[in-house]
This record gives sequence, structure tokens and C-alpha cells, in this order.
Amino acid sequence: MITSDPLTFITLAPIALGLTLLILPHVAPASMADYIRKIARSLSMGLALAIFAITSALFLGQIGNIDWLDIMQGDYVLQNEAVVLLDEIGVRWVVGVDALSFPMVWLTAMLIPVSMLVEWDAEKGHIFHPLILIMEGALLGVFVVLDLFVFYVFWELTLIPMFFLILVWGGAERRYASMKFFIYTFTASVLMLIGILVMYFNTGDASLAGSLTGHHFDLVSMTAQAAGGGLIAGEGLRHFVWILLLIGFATKMPSVPVHTWLPDAHVQAPTAGSMLLAGVMLKMGAYGFLRVAVTIFPESTVVFIPLLIVLGMVSLVYGAIVCMGQTNLKRMVAYSSVSHMGLIFLGIATMQPLGIAGALFMMFAHGIISPLLFAVAGSFKHHYHTLEIGSMRGIAHHSPWLAGHMMIGWMASLGLPLLAGFVAEVAVLIAFWMTFGWLVLLPALTLIITAVYYLTSMQKTIFEGGDPHVGILPESLHGEEPRDITWHENAGMFVLVAFTVLFGILPFFFWDMMSDWSTEFMLETLVDAMNSKGVKP
Amino acid sequence: MLTVDEMENLLPEMALVLGIILAILVPNIGNATFRIPLTRIRVPIFIGGKRYKTTSDPRLPGRMSIAVFSVALFFSFFGIEGASGEIGGVIEISSFSRMMSVVFFGSLLLAAVATTYRMPARPSARAPRERDTESRAEALVAALMDNRRQVDFHLLLMMVGLGMSLMAMASNLFFMFVAIELTSLAAYVLVAFHKEEAVGGEAGAKYFIVGSVSSATGIYGMSLVYLWSGDLDFDALAAAWAAMDGLDPFAVIGVGLMLVAFGFKVSAAPFHLAAPDAYAGASSPVAGLLATASKAMGFVALFRVLIEVTMPEEGEALWFCLLALIAIVTMTWGNLAALTSENPKRMLAYSSVAHAGYMLAALAAVGSGLGDASTTKLVLIAIVFHLTILVLFKFGAFLVLGLLETEGRSHRLEDLHGLARRDPLIAGSMFIFMLSLAGVPPLSGFLSKLLMINGIINISAGTGSTTADAIVPWAETVDPVFWLAIAIVLNSALSLFYYLRLCLVMFFEEPEVSKPLRRAGHLRRTILVLAVLSVFFGIGAGAEFLLDLVETAVAAM
Repeated sequence: MITSDPLTFITLAPIALGLTLLILPHVAPASMADYIRKIARSLSMGLALAIFAITSALFLGQIGNIDWLDIMQGDYVLQNEAVVLLDEIGVRWVVGVDALSFPMVWLTAMLIPVSMLVEWDAEKGHIFHPLILIMEGALLGVFVVLDLFVFYVFWELTLIPMFFLILVWGGAERRYASMKFFIYTFTASVLMLIGILVMYFNTGDASLAGSLTGHHFDLVSMTAQAAGGGLIAGEGLRHFVWILLLIGFATKMPSVPVHTWLPDAHVQAPTAGSMLLAGVMLKMGAYGFLRVAVTIFPESTVVFIPLLIVLGMVSLVYGAIVCMGQTNLKRMVAYSSVSHMGLIFLGIATMQPLGIAGALFMMFAHGIISPLLFAVAGSFKHHYHTLEIGSMRGIAHHSPWLAGHMMIGWMASLGLPLLAGFVAEVAVLIAFWMTFGWLVLLPALTLIITAVYYLTSMQKTIFEGGDPHVGILPESLHGEEPRDITWHENAGMFVLVAFTVLFGILPFFFWDMMSDWSTEFMLETLVDAMNSKGVKP
Repeated sequence: MLTVDEMENLLPEMALVLGIILAILVPNIGNATFRIPLTRIRVPIFIGGKRYKTTSDPRLPGRMSIAVFSVALFFSFFGIEGASGEIGGVIEISSFSRMMSVVFFGSLLLAAVATTYRMPARPSARAPRERDTESRAEALVAALMDNRRQVDFHLLLMMVGLGMSLMAMASNLFFMFVAIELTSLAAYVLVAFHKEEAVGGEAGAKYFIVGSVSSATGIYGMSLVYLWSGDLDFDALAAAWAAMDGLDPFAVIGVGLMLVAFGFKVSAAPFHLAAPDAYAGASSPVAGLLATASKAMGFVALFRVLIEVTMPEEGEALWFCLLALIAIVTMTWGNLAALTSENPKRMLAYSSVAHAGYMLAALAAVGSGLGDASTTKLVLIAIVFHLTILVLFKFGAFLVLGLLETEGRSHRLEDLHGLARRDPLIAGSMFIFMLSLAGVPPLSGFLSKLLMINGIINISAGTGSTTADAIVPWAETVDPVFWLAIAIVLNSALSLFYYLRLCLVMFFEEPEVSKPLRRAGHLRRTILVLAVLSVFFGIGAGAEFLLDLVETAVAAM
């Protein structure tokens, strides 16, 4: 199964193992239950590493060598033989990846072991690590399945482990945060479900259709039908469905004005939870938006370009301005995510291959950098018991490793050349300039605000101190001498730093496939839509 | 006298009759007096002395009724395929009636299992204390070891089962009413059986008064129908209805009055007002029974009268507008009332009203006359499937409340606080039940709702303008039936709030009692099994199997 259908394996194996490790201790005899609890952490890590190895091998052996300009829209590699899950309503298990989803798959497979490593000593590890494993399966499922029913199920399934990660391992306000997180994202996804159902009731491919309903959830077939102009007849209804999908995806991303759950969830979540939330879960929104809303309704997307620009611009600027006012390190990093996600909307709104590729690379680079930021913030919380900017100063003296990681992370996030974030920002901004001319000054100048809040927070935390040899230690330490970060935190952050530098210097590993995919996407989908709407390509 | 073939066809009912007889006789074995069930009257029979220990065992009646319902469920389940037969001109056995029997016996079996743990011999029975005198203590122990009350309860359950099963097989209006009355009378007593709390008797009285008034209305309607046609056989009525020239006032008023009786059974607005009180006052297993089996029975009656008798060959049925209106009012009223409810049982009761609204909406869509035979069948499959799986998650939710009742009350939302901490598995199951009620994929509740909406949309298909390019002009051209689907979708979205609220208090609030939940062995296991089945019948092989079964059943209607 691993060789014949690797995507199914990497999706279902973690869920199966995670559930087994969670349930088995409740039903097994006591001695065996203890043993299972003991090895749960290692087993989870083992499988997570195995999945990382599989996806990396796939990339190096097969996916990295594909010329994506030859792959037509709607074609997927590694696609499996479809398994009918429910014939009556037309649900099938179909998985496949293309250049849009594979970077996300690899990113998820890479981040899961890293976040497990960073929280290697988590309390109740025999529950914590299997939960993260279930999370991995759900996240990978969202990126690989090509059936909207199963897509929705995985989409909702990601909520459950994350909900428990926040509720059980979170900070003092964890109840409020997890409830807000759950209600926001769940309500939004219900609206998305309504949109999916409207699409469902307009499908008509008889070979896939359910025996009772006469419709199906197959995404590939829906895309083909939409390209033929036959998915939803009325344009008004198409716009309506597009808006429903946008609400679902934008809440996950999150974009202003539906972003307010994010700072609370991040501040309260445990480190690994924050890393996955920022690293992958936010990307689900952008991925779903491109995969479903933009691909199936390109004309609506063209019509709503002004809306996308407003949403993106407000998220970018508002997020950055709010960042400047934050006194909590983690909250600041959370708002910076809102700000960076705004760039993705702007990149899509440019309707240039470069802009879309930039948005894709933004998803990827932010998926490496923001977990690094949250790992740093988590380590501060862990070792200094506070996240207040300014309550601790001159930390570089006490925790040189942490200070080093913080510096690289902060620099990468503000867009320093040769680090991964720069590539994405430059691509989006150039594309923005090509389309909208001098309007580019608005997002470009926002990057100055970004630099301001990152540099001040860094300076106030790791450099400046009363006595250069001691610094100022926060009161929460009660006079104790802090130690530098543990080996596993250090190792996890090292991996992230390495990838940040690698993809900053050599972005073409993933940039090439993203750029080819965007070109193909423009040519086959968006150009026609722009022509029909009278927008100059 | 019944022939062997006929007896074979009636095996589940035979099992019930046998069970009823045994439940009357067995607990008296060894005693010198014979107690007439449900009374305190003892008839001397002059043989024997004291009852044996086994025959006065409080666990005996529960075991008997579990065995009887299991046997009946077994025979009905394996009788679905290829069931056919006609007995005495009033009973017609078909796959459909057997499928409905499976629903009835399934929920009765759950009620029987759930009751074994929690029914004290007398409402006020208690264990003896140290300061009690010796004779007083002995009397208290004897009261605890008595099984009279359990016998009565399970006897009533079996009578409910017999009535429901016969009702599903009735091919004659009169016989159907008799069967419904058998069920209803037993159900009134079951509701009032919850004497541990003051509200029990009140609930029983309310349910009895409203129920008997609605029954009387229905029977009056039936008599008008008889005046009109002179025959109460469904086939004859259908023929007479089809041949009717214009509208005969007797026929129309008669059918309308009968709808009142059935509307009460399915708790459709405005006849639902007694339902929340009855559910909240009854013990949880009985409330679950009313919300699943009793509702299914009401729908069978509606199928018979609306689809089989009064549905015209083509064109709109007489009742279309009325039923569509009732459906929308029912679901909206149910959901709005549930939103404001602070009592989990009342909340579930109103949610059950809302679910009746969804099913009525689907049924009303059939009455629009726009669909053909296949779309009608699709809608009926959706309704029967929904009735079937409601037994899993609706009853499951009531069983969780029943488990809470074993240690006190479940009348306030606070009783559910922190359930996740006290018993994670039960809280997880309740979470699944709630999501399934709300209709979240991939749970079975979503599948049935999708099928209902799909049925309605298929019926309205082809009415909307294909050239309109904005929503408003398109909406003006589409048939009103389409808006029933929209009403279901909007109401489902509304219902999420109270279902999730119930879940949130389980996970977020501090429990009032911090000790773990009582481990009531097989009640707990039953809940877990129901939770697994709610997922199993939602996607994959399980759902296909059940849908095939329902399809067979509906094809036989």
C-alpha cells in the first residue's frame, strides 16, 4: 500500500495509529496499558518520521522531476483507484496531488515531527503525541482528497484534535479560547458546507452520480463541468456560492474581519498546537480557496477582485498596525500571521502567474517561518514563564541559542533577503506592481511597519538590558537563574532554521513547480474568465 | 383460526403476546393470590404460599422483556426481505411493515435495556437505616426485592410494541385506530409511571388529556370518512377518493380531523404543545420511546392516509399547502423553542419537534404533485431512513440523560456540566449524537437530511428558470416546493446552536459533582454501541446496507 497508494497510507495510517494509542489503554489490561502509554510517544514520532521520509522520497524520486507545465489543470499525480464509499449519494475515496497541494503535504509531513520534537516533554505525552498524529492525518487528508464530502469531513476533523490541544494543554484562558476557536471555525465551515451542497445539487456526471440522488461530490468532475460552463446555471447563484465558500475559507485563513479567534487561540494553545495552527491550519484556508472557490468559479473570482484586494489590504495593514501595539510576544506573532495572510489574497488578486506563485510560496514559507516564531515564543513561555515584551531584557546573555533562533525567525518573517519569506514577498509585490502600478506602495510600505514591530520586540527582548552582563529577568522567574532551551527544543528550531535558509537561498525546489502550476492555472482557467468579464489580463 | 403460514408471518407479534402472557403469570408463581396487573387487586387462587425468590426477583421482568424484544426484533429483521401475506382482511404484512417493526422493536429494546438499572421497586423505596426497627428493616428490604412495579412497566412496554407492530401492518383504517389506541393507552401510563418526581404525574395527565382529545378527534374524522365511503379498507378508500367527483365535505373534513390525531403523534405544530411537558416529565427511556417509535408510528399513519389514500394520480394534493405550512411552522417553532430551553430533556423534545418538521416538509413536497414515482420513492426512502436512524442518535441522547438520572436528575443544563471530565467516553458519545442530530457529515444524521433535501430539490427540479442570471428573478420562477428545502437548511443551521451549546457545557463547565459517573454496565455499553452505529450508518458499507433495506421496504409500500 505504501508504494502503490502512498497518499492513502500517509492519510489514514496516522489517524489509525493515533486512535489506537488513545483507545487501547482504556480497554487493554493494566500492565499492557502502562506499556502502551510508555511507547505511545515514540511510536507517534516514528510514524511521523516515516511519513516525512515517504513524502520526501516522493518529492525527490518523482514529484520533483515532473514538468508541471505538461500537467493539465484537473490532472493529478499519484491518483489512486477510486473506492466508492457511499454509492447512494456519490461519495468516493479519491486522492491525488498536484503542484498546489504537494508543497503543503510536504510541509505538513515536515512540521509534525518537528512540533512533536519541540514538545517532546509535554505533560500527558501518551495523549498529546497521538493527538498530534491524528491532526497530521486530518491535515494531510484535507490536502490530498479530491472528493468534497471527504474533504469536508477532514476539514472538520482537524478541529477536534486542535480543540483538545488547546483545551487540555492550553494557558489560563484556554476554555474561552478553545470555545471561540471552535465556534468561529465551525460556523464558518457550515456556511461552506451549504455552498458545497449547492454545487453538489448541480452536478450531473452520470458515471459518478449516486444511485439515489443522481449527484456526486467529485471535485475533478465538478471542475471539468464548471469549465464547460455547466455547473451552476445562474450567475447570481454562482456568486452566492463563491461568497459562502469565501466565508468558510477566509475564516480559517484568517482574514479581517473574521480573524478574532486567531490571537486568542494562539496565545492559549500549547507550543506544538500554535506551530501547527499557524503552519498548516491557516494554509488550509488559502488552499481550499484556490482549490475550490477560484478553480471552480474563476469568473466570480474575477468579479470580486476588488473585494479580495480590500480584504487582503486591510488584513495586511490592520494586522501590522495591531502588531505594533502588542505587549504579548505570542499575540504579536499571531497578528503578524493575519498580516502575512493578507498578502496571499493580494497575490491572488493580481491575476498574474507571478502573483499566484508568490501567494503559493507565501503559504509555504510562512508555513516554515511562523512555526519557528511560535516555537521561540513557546520556549520563552516555558523557560521564562512570561511572554511580556519588555519584562525581560538581554536574554541573549542567558539563552544564546534561543536568542539566535529568535533573530533568524524574526528576520525571516520581516522579509530579509536570502531567507524564505523574502522570495514570497518580492514575488507578490512585483506582480502587484505589474497589475496595479503605484498602488504597490501601500503593501510595500506596510513592510516597514513589519520591520518596526519585529525589530523593537527583538531589541527589547534579547539585546537591551540595564547591566549588559545580566540583563533584566522577568518577575515570573522569582529570582531564579534561567537555563538555555532544552536539546529537543533546540533541535526542532534548528530544523526550521535550516529549511528557512535553504528555501531562501535555493527557492527553486518548490518555486519551480508553483510557478509552473500558476502559469498553467492562468492559461487554462483565469484568462478565459478575465476575457469574458472584460478584465485586461 | 390462524394457519401455520400466517402464524409464521406473525412470529414477532406471537413472541410479544407470549411475552405479555408470561409477564402476567410468571411473577405470581408460587403465590397463593394472583395479582391483576397494574392494580393492587389480588385474586385468591388457593394454591401455594409465598412467591419463589426467582419469580419475585426485580431483575426478572427486565430480562423477560429484553428477551422478548430481541426475539421480535430478530424475526422482523430477517422478515424484511420477501415478507408478504394477508390475514383476516385487516392485516397486510409487507417489507415496509416489517421495516417499521424493526424501528419499533429496536427502540423498545433500548427502552427495556435502559430501564433495568434505574427503576426502584416503589417510587419511595429506600435501603433500611441503622435506627430502623428490625421489622421495619425487613419490610423495607422486602419492598426493595419486590418486582411488581417492574412487571407493570415492562408489560406496558410490550403492549406498546404489540400495538405499534399491528398498526404498521394494518390495511384497514379501523384496525389501525384500534392498534394506535392500544399503543397510546399504554404510552399514557408509561409517561405517568415516572413517580420519582412530582412532574411525572402531571406530565402523564397532560399527555393523556391532549392525547385522548386528539384521538377522539381522529376517530370522529374516521366516522365521517365511513359515512362517506361505507368502507374503511385503505384500497377501497383510495379507489373512492380517486373516483370522487369534486370534493365531498365528509371526506375532506374526515381526513382533516384524522390529520389532527396523527399530527399529535408526530408532534407537529400546533399539536405539539403537550410533547415537551410529556418528555420532560417522563423518565428518559420513555421520552426516547415517544421521540422515536411513537413518532415513526405517526408517520406510518400519515403515509397511509396522505400517500396511499388521498394522493391523486397527478396534480397537487389537497393537503399540499396545509402540510407545507405546518412543516415550516413546526421546524421553526421547535428550533426556536429549543434555543431558549434550559432543560436538556425539553431541548431534546423540541429538537424532536423540529425533526418532525423536516420529515413533514419532505412529505409535503410529495404532495406538490410535481414529482414522478421515482422522486416520490426517493423522498419516502429519506423519511423512513431518517426514522430508522433517529433510533440511534435520538434515543442515544436520551439514554445519556437516563444514565445521569440513575444518580439524580437530568432536568437542568447544569447536570451535564463537566461530563467530559467525569466520563470522557459518554461525553464523546453525546457529542456524536448531537452532531448527528444537527446533521454534520459524515454522521448518519447528515445522510438522511441530505437525502430529504435532495428529494425535495429533485421534485422541484425543472421549475426554476434556466435563463435567469441573478438570484431574485430565478427565485421568482422556481416552484414553492423548493423553499421547503431552503427552510430545512436554514433550520438545520439554526439548530446547530443549541446542539453545540449542550456539547460545550459538557467540555467547558466545571462539574457540580466531581466523582466519576456511575458505571451502569450495559446501559453504558449500549450508549457506546449507539454512538459507533451513528457513525457506521453514516458512510460506507453500513449506510449502503441500511439504505438497501429501506429501499426494499419503501418499494413494498
